[in-house]
Amino acid sequence: MKHLTAGRLGAVLLASLGVLVVCLAIGLVTGPSGISPGAALDALLHPAESGALADIVWRIRVPRLLLAAGVGASLAVAGVIFQALLRNPLADPFILGVSGGAALGGISVLVLGTWIGVGAGAAPLAAFAGAIGTTLLLYGMAAVRGRVSATQLLLTGVVFNAFASAGIVFLASIAGLADGSRIFLWLIGNLSAARTDMGIVVGVFLVVGLGVALSLARGLNLLALGDEAAAQLGMAVERQKKILLLATSLMVGAAVSVSGLVGFVGLIVPHLLRLVLGPDHRLLVPASALLGAAFLVLCDTVARSLLGGRELPVGAITALVGGPLFLVLLRRNSDRSFTA
Amino acid sequence: MSLQLRNVALRLGEQTVLRDVSLELAPGEVVGLLGRNGAGKTSLLRLASGTWLPDAGDVLFEGRALSDFPRSLLAQKIAVVPQDLHVPFPFRVGEVVLMGRGPYQRWLGFESSHDIECAQRALERMGILHLADRRIPELSGGERQLVLIARALAQEPDCLLLDEPTAFLDLEHRIRVLEVVRELVASGASALLVSHDLSLAARCCERLLLLADGRVAAEGAPGEVLRADTLRRVLGFSATVIEGPDGLPLVVPELGRKDSVERGA
Amino acid sequence: MVSLAPSLTAILVTLGAGDLLVGIDEVSARQQPALAQRVRVVGGLFNPSLEGVVALEPDLVVFVPSAEQRNFQQRLSAVGIATEAFSNLRFEDVLENIERLGRLAGREPAARERIDAIRAVRAQLEASNRAVETPRVVMVLQRDPLFVVGGGSFIDDMIAIAGARNLAAELGDAYPRASIEWLVAAAPEVLIDMDASHEPAPAYWGRWPALGARGRIVHLDPSLVTLPGPHLDRAMQRLTAALHPMAPFERGAPPAGAR
Repeated sequence: MKHLTAGRLGAVLLASLGVLVVCLAIGLVTGPSGISPGAALDALLHPAESGALADIVWRIRVPRLLLAAGVGASLAVAGVIFQALLRNPLADPFILGVSGGAALGGISVLVLGTWIGVGAGAAPLAAFAGAIGTTLLLYGMAAVRGRVSATQLLLTGVVFNAFASAGIVFLASIAGLADGSRIFLWLIGNLSAARTDMGIVVGVFLVVGLGVALSLARGLNLLALGDEAAAQLGMAVERQKKILLLATSLMVGAAVSVSGLVGFVGLIVPHLLRLVLGPDHRLLVPASALLGAAFLVLCDTVARSLLGGRELPVGAITALVGGPLFLVLLRRNSDRSFTA
Repeated sequence: MSLQLRNVALRLGEQTVLRDVSLELAPGEVVGLLGRNGAGKTSLLRLASGTWLPDAGDVLFEGRALSDFPRSLLAQKIAVVPQDLHVPFPFRVGEVVLMGRGPYQRWLGFESSHDIECAQRALERMGILHLADRRIPELSGGERQLVLIARALAQEPDCLLLDEPTAFLDLEHRIRVLEVVRELVASGASALLVSHDLSLAARCCERLLLLADGRVAAEGAPGEVLRADTLRRVLGFSATVIEGPDGLPLVVPELGRKDSVERGA
Repeated sequence: MVSLAPSLTAILVTLGAGDLLVGIDEVSARQQPALAQRVRVVGGLFNPSLEGVVALEPDLVVFVPSAEQRNFQQRLSAVGIATEAFSNLRFEDVLENIERLGRLAGREPAARERIDAIRAVRAQLEASNRAVETPRVVMVLQRDPLFVVGGGSFIDDMIAIAGARNLAAELGDAYPRASIEWLVAAAPEVLIDMDASHEPAPAYWGRWPALGARGRIVHLDPSLVTLPGPHLDRAMQRLTAALHPMAPFERGAPPAGAR
């Protein structure tokens, strides 16, 4: 009788970590400035040196790689959790309106900031506040008698996202030229403004979200049986759902506030890994974190290196890769009788 | 007394689903719960498992109110077999049955070898060990029911609540399920069985409870409850009840009315 | 006349034809506040108001054809309003615009005078710049996201006239979004920062010390240099002064624009 063992978990996580390390290494030695891998490695080992090489490695590539890893892991883990909460393998971290709220917050500050004396630098904070505010609002609206129904949550989230989209379109149409490009990059997902402090914020909330997801991983498994059956098997369903929802929203809010809406990572990575590794969340959650990080690191490396000195937003690459991949998965999903 | 429901009432929205229902389950006995669709049987099971709280009355297990039990402890005592199993993700049969060991496990960590043994034994008892590695969405309705029962067995409960556990099963498996329930009960557990199969329920249960309009319409030994006039009044069909070779009642339903049969001939 | 582009508005006003205007776009209004008092503002650069323009019953609408404004042109033509499109991508395009607008507004002499002045300054600068070094330069239009002046734009033309080499020309687009890594690796001798942010240039670019260490960072007000309008002569001089601070400055040019 097959089941999850410590041995299997260890082996898969070790392999995933290996993949992440390889992707980070590729990201470290790849870039538009054409420095050799040897030179990059040398700069990495001598952080105290100054000069263009040190700047490129330590002030540009390293913060960006770490941010990409953090955001990729956050979005992938959030995707796993939302897919479990909504009992739907096609859910993604933006489905519950958290992203809509974050976008509205961030873009409002970008466009209207000058009128209230706030600079564009406050946008990430506003985005984060928007994400949290939206989560609380949605939860309040979707909870009936203290119980959160997945359908209620989903519908409320979809409607809110539509409202947020309308707000964003309005803001975009009154925005100036400079803001137009910022809004576009935010909506498609972009890591070019990577700074170390952003990486730290994302890292902190990733640890929180990952910690919650790992400790409640068994609960995530039980949720697949339905709220009632999970409760009958001893799970504190409503309490755990609330904790998961809050922790995930914080994690997504932090990621989205610095990178914008990077699509497909939170959908493709969990979905693919579930097909390969099975649906046990004790394995799926940590594997998604590691491989979500690796995936975004690779995509971002392509985004900043593909066109020579010119930059592509990472969201364009995740969409290019993720879109067709998603169609293939969808096809495969309907061929087998997996969906219940 | 293991499980007691005392004068419970339940309202869902505007509707009163249960009014003043009392029920006692003692160790070593199987009680059958009968009634029309919508009579409140599943709601009563939800109250009995502690999933829902009654609007009036109380539910006690071993003399203590259900709400006084920590959730995981309660799940070690009471196991529920719901009507059907739908999972959105391709969990394996073995994994689902192992989830029945959840109440005994700590938050983090893996299943112990004892947990694995329990699950395997439960699968064996239901005759589906060969399905252990198959994925739930690939199974038939009947196979899924057997998995649900196996999961409940893996919980090693003192009290088993079964909601129409044989609806999709062939006769061989129906018999096996009822035999498993009787074995469990013989070792000191109690069971509440919701069923529409009156003749089999008569053979499996010490007592039958007939629910109608949210009230207990009849209660007692199978021979007392399964009477033609009671069946017509409460369950709404005409039948002849005869005594079977084992001394227990056999319900023979009448199909259609005599005059309409003659018209067709 | 209605003008839907700030560069065209600026040319008309400089040629003394401002009184011909009955309607202008938002950005023009911001740049020409005196004019904005007098005429109607008919919408933004990307969303001009058809009704607003038609209500003014103009003889002519002049504009620069971006994707949105091309569509607008079709709608205007459908209503029977005459339109004239002007391209302002290259340096020579701007001179041609001055001439055409001069003709359309009946101000040919003023137009001729402006064009001659601009050409004269150009010739002068090209001659004097031959004698000095050619610094490697990058001009930043916006810090984040990083937009720079690429190849094939009038600013690029002016960089060449000012005797410098535009490192971003290799990026293959007029105003490309560049990667910060490329910028640091390119190590320009002069980095001209035209971002309108309040954060001082040394503070912002100090995040990548190699930039300041290997070259000068100069903050330049973009309003003169980024407008493909009637004062390209002053723009060229301002740019040259920023690029060659040690060179003797010409009549009318302000001292080095370095902060």
